Amino acid sequence: MLRKVLTITENLFTELGVPVNRPVRKVAVVAVVANPWAGKGYVEDLQVSARPLAVLVANTIGDALLAEFGTPSRIEAFGKGVIVGEDGELEHGSALVHTPFFADVLRACVEGTAVMPSAEHRGPAGSRLVVPMGHKGAFATRSHYTGSEISVADAPRPDEIVVVGAAASGPRPNARVGDRTTDPPVDVATLRSARRTA
Amino acid sequence: MNARKSLTIVEDIYLEGGAPVAPPARTAVALVVIENPWAGMGFVEDLGPVIDDVAPEIGALLAENVMSALGRPVEAYGKAAIVGLDGEIEHASGLIHTLRFGDAFRSVTGAKTLLPAVEKRAPAGSSFDIPLKHVIDQTVRSHHQSVEVRVADAPRADEIVIGLAAAAQGRPLARLRPMSAERG
Repeated sequence: MLRKVLTITENLFTELGVPVNRPVRKVAVVAVVANPWAGKGYVEDLQVSARPLAVLVANTIGDALLAEFGTPSRIEAFGKGVIVGEDGELEHGSALVHTPFFADVLRACVEGTAVMPSAEHRGPAGSRLVVPMGHKGAFATRSHYTGSEISVADAPRPDEIVVVGAAASGPRPNARVGDRTTDPPVDVATLRSARRTA
Repeated sequence: MNARKSLTIVEDIYLEGGAPVAPPARTAVALVVIENPWAGMGFVEDLGPVIDDVAPEIGALLAENVMSALGRPVEAYGKAAIVGLDGEIEHASGLIHTLRFGDAFRSVTGAKTLLPAVEKRAPAGSSFDIPLKHVIDQTVRSHHQSVEVRVADAPRADEIVIGLAAAAQGRPLARLRPMSAERG
């Protein structure tokens, strides 16, 4: 079921030549699995049949993330994504990651509570996917919206699914776009009319 | 060395051609993205002083990172240097084709052979294949392999991506006849 697992770890030190105020580690764990519904035509029930693989992949990804960060407390943002091979449905990838059997297991691994942002894509082997990430406890934390691009040269095959879990140790490098508490009051009607006259 | 970021990539292969690979085949890559030390200087004739200054530091850092990522004895290895569009291939080659770069890795692995290499000039996000060969005997056919790598935002035009790759074994389920069997 599990063909291979890649762990991609990035440590960022400078941004446009300026040292980052908090060096940020981003990790993406990429699991390549056989599409359990491949060759079966249209399958109505994707729920019960998804569970064993969803749990296996979530534990595999969660363990690999913890191995890279040491402890859950070093993880501040997380996200997930799938690339379904060409012979599968987007619904197959979604069946693996958009249920508690995947997401709650992964959240427990990293001690997160927030909704996990996600990207779903279908494509050939080598397709690139930007896995979105957000704060693991308070999704609206603006400094922690980020992403990580992955690709695997030989996956997914048409009958495979690539499942990704990603995490970051902190905010975007040198984050400085404020947050909801620092935003000025905004009159949307005025902003809309400004667009028409610009 | 002005490093912007470092990366490690570890791949574990569990199945090949549908058959189990036990233990899983592991390959690790360590990369560092640095400012091209000759960027903006025009044509520089003598690259030696900068190489002597920078290459040992890069070689030691990458050797440590790739060994740590692999976590097992190294059986095959290789290296890479991808220079951004404003640089010369000679800049990339200069930093990796010197004993000052490779000896750190060879000394911790007990390796005797030359590190096979890929050198390339390319924009950010280009993929490149790092060739690996056996660390003691480059004729060991089971250990000829390569690993594809890319970094989405590097190298910029004035940067160089330098890498080391290490494998804990040969190809998964390698089963070609050795060269000695053909020579009779």
